[in-house]
Amino acid sequence: MGQLRVLWQIALRNLFASKINVIIGFIILGGTFLVVLGGSMLDSMDAAMSRSIIGSVAGHIQVYSSQSKEALALFGNMGGEAEISALDDFSKVKKTLETVPNVERVVPMGINAALVQSGNTIDLTLGELRGVLNHLRDEGESPERREKAESLKAHVRQQVEVLKADIAKARLISKASAEDAEDAAVIERVSSEAFWKEFETRPFDQMEYLENRLAPMVSDADLLYLRYAGTDLKAFQKNFDRMRIVDGAPVPDGERGFLFAKLFYEETLKLKSARRLDKIKEARDIKSKRIATDDELKRWVKENSTQTREFLLQLDGIKTRELVARLQKHLGSKETELSALLGSFFTTTDENFDARYAFFYEQVAPLLQLYRVRVGDTLSIQAFTKTGYMQSVNLKVYGTFMFEGLEKSDMAGGLNLMDLVSFRELYGYLTAEKKAEIAELKKKSGSREIAREGAEDALFGEDAKVVEASATPGLIDDSASFGDTAQALRNKELASRVYSQDEIDQGVVLSAAVMLKDPTRIQETIAEIHAAAERDKVPLKAVSWQEASGLIGQFVLMAKLILYFAVFVIFIVALVIINNAMMMATLRRVHEIGTMRAIGAQRAFVLSLVLMETVVLGLLFGGLGMLFGSGLVGWLHSVGIPAGNDALLFFFSGPRLFPSLTVGNLVAAFVIVMLVSAISTLYPALIATRVSPLRAMQAEE
Amino acid sequence: MALLPSPIRVSLLALALVATPVLAAPLDAAGVKAVLVELDDRQRNGGDYKALVYLEQKEKDKADTVREALIYRRDADDKLMILFARPKAEQGKGYLRLDKNLWMYDPNTGRWERRTERERIAGTDSRRADFDESRLADEYDARYVEEGKLGKFSTHMLELKAKEGVDVAYPVLKLWVDQASGNILKRQEFALSGKLMRTSLYPKWQKLFSESKGSDVWYPQEIRIYDEVEKANSTVVLIKQVDLRSLDANLFTKAWLESKSR
Repeated sequence: MGQLRVLWQIALRNLFASKINVIIGFIILGGTFLVVLGGSMLDSMDAAMSRSIIGSVAGHIQVYSSQSKEALALFGNMGGEAEISALDDFSKVKKTLETVPNVERVVPMGINAALVQSGNTIDLTLGELRGVLNHLRDEGESPERREKAESLKAHVRQQVEVLKADIAKARLISKASAEDAEDAAVIERVSSEAFWKEFETRPFDQMEYLENRLAPMVSDADLLYLRYAGTDLKAFQKNFDRMRIVDGAPVPDGERGFLFAKLFYEETLKLKSARRLDKIKEARDIKSKRIATDDELKRWVKENSTQTREFLLQLDGIKTRELVARLQKHLGSKETELSALLGSFFTTTDENFDARYAFFYEQVAPLLQLYRVRVGDTLSIQAFTKTGYMQSVNLKVYGTFMFEGLEKSDMAGGLNLMDLVSFRELYGYLTAEKKAEIAELKKKSGSREIAREGAEDALFGEDAKVVEASATPGLIDDSASFGDTAQALRNKELASRVYSQDEIDQGVVLSAAVMLKDPTRIQETIAEIHAAAERDKVPLKAVSWQEASGLIGQFVLMAKLILYFAVFVIFIVALVIINNAMMMATLRRVHEIGTMRAIGAQRAFVLSLVLMETVVLGLLFGGLGMLFGSGLVGWLHSVGIPAGNDALLFFFSGPRLFPSLTVGNLVAAFVIVMLVSAISTLYPALIATRVSPLRAMQAEE
Repeated sequence: MALLPSPIRVSLLALALVATPVLAAPLDAAGVKAVLVELDDRQRNGGDYKALVYLEQKEKDKADTVREALIYRRDADDKLMILFARPKAEQGKGYLRLDKNLWMYDPNTGRWERRTERERIAGTDSRRADFDESRLADEYDARYVEEGKLGKFSTHMLELKAKEGVDVAYPVLKLWVDQASGNILKRQEFALSGKLMRTSLYPKWQKLFSESKGSDVWYPQEIRIYDEVEKANSTVVLIKQVDLRSLDANLFTKAWLESKSR
């Protein structure tokens, strides 16, 4: 004890005796400061991201069929959806999961993708007109329907005018080809009064002409890749606290419907010019970029000022005149052509951008259809089912939503939501009844099985005869081959009915999110779920949210690894520096140590002496480092760190990160600093113990 | 055929008829053209055409699917309709070709969608042209490659390149034409890059006398289509029956197809 006190006193006395000690002290200070700050940032980021992922789609644990070929990837894999086998009946899965004590709630899910085709601008207008004409024919006249039909007709005629102007312009530039002449003839016909007069009496014939001859002249058709999760929307909205409706309303309980992910909705369905305006605004406001200096912004401005055709095709005659008047007033221009006015309106500079942005949304946007599919519209989704047949459903779009914290993530922001019943329809589970129907058809077709490899030999070999005798003229009665009215009515009824909880629960799902009572016991609960599944003979595999979220989950892990590696490198460097400095310090003290040894100090005493000095240094400067680190974290916690770019937005799970400090961060910093200083002093201390008193005394002489 | 003025059509036809007996030797350019014209002409009908077909699709990791469909053609106007009848869930779905438009209709949504020439009909390996009137002479320029054997059959092998401005599913074709019967036995289709996309085999041909045409109409009773990109996928098209009676005048309209599922 007495020896310890002596060591302590010597260490304190030596603390500021040499400059080297001060240098080492500052290295320790810096290291501790970094560990405290980095550790707290990393933990806060990890917590924020796990909160977003757990609270958006993953839950604490995901379960899916253990018979699946691939692992579940909620946010998608590179190159498509993971191949997951279906779980036949969710209600059974739920029952099994609920026997595990730590399970709080279970939400059914299924993720799939479909291609949604949208025709060009004229196709869309004509499609709408055809719908109204069908209504007029089937359900009779009504003033609203008639008015709607007239307004759509006016719109088509305006589109014809736009195309007519295009052709006239093209003629000025180049010689017309045969195809152009054909187009011009079509335009000539559909812009004549006679055509529209005939429309009154034979609307459907004229429609066919417009659809087949006029519409193909425009080529702005779109193909959307739509990724969606089918789920019990009521349970989903209740359990995933990160989900927030942005536009519109949630899908009413038990009803069928669709919600767009806000980011996907903005990126793919919004009018391109409007989207570019939003992006320029964001770049200017958040990233402090300027149109004058940034090439990307310049490009967007240029695209906006040249790509104005969609406006011309979207507006009918009245709205075109209205927009021309508003733009003339705003720009103080006498130009009468809309495309020229739009061109100069969209040629924005840093000076006029904010004013024009505001004007666009106040005065221009209300005249336009800003989104290809609006909230309240019906979306037709067509998917290839697992049975190989195509299935399609019409779903009402109730609104858009986002997952807070993941709103900028392309992966999470691209996942749309639909009700579970529609999901099951599009997924197309092969029932026994359907299997029997296919088997019967196959028998009727009478086709022979021929292996691909030997097909040519089998078909064209010695016994083959390619020309059969003359066929008997067939009398095909196709009357029985068409769909019946009852089926159409049933489809309509199925689309609009309200489904009970039992109907939602009983059926196919691909996975289920499990919320836990105690989220810290994920691994134990996974083991319990596996045991329960085995007991009930349900083929279940449970994985943690990190595993289930695929790439995004790995992203978090990766970020952590990178940061840990960085800390590791910093400390290796510190270790080397401290080691060198201590070596120098020890060599300087050879005389002193030799004297101590000569008056009876043991080697253990010398060793302890050097180590103690480092520990005291570590305590003092490490303590200071922790203090500074904590102070900075405390300050950042109150003001927040702004996320300057999209990557940071993703890592911070929001526009600002508010880091907080845990005792764990401080303890970790303390332990690491003490260990590093102890290890780095070990070698110099050992050298010190080897100093021979005799030689040390002689050196002085 | 409709793209050619009728005098040329007639003379080409005459050439084809003259050329037929001397087919069994390497062909010169005129001979090759005559083969194409003959191929088109024998499958064409003067009046309407209706067929009952089955489509069987094999796909990797999936259960086989079978569809029963009706094909309606009015070759004089270049019109085509494919209407699915079975299984029940497919009933009322269809394709309608009008001018250069290929429309797809789904009664579940009540919507029409414009599709391209490359559309995989109902997701199978078949394309619109497999069901439609043959228009090889109008759409392609042909070149003679070589004489050869396919099993026991002696064949002419031709290479066809799509004419400029013509929209077809595949820009390059290779045909193996039976020297004896003048029927296509094998057809390979290539992308512009030269990559082989599909191989089709035609092991059975049938003919049927058409009053409106005044001669026989030929049709392949069986087409075996092999996907050369997704090697495990293949489609068999079986034409069970052909009916050459006149069809409803308004049949090739959107309204008609819609009315079938209303």
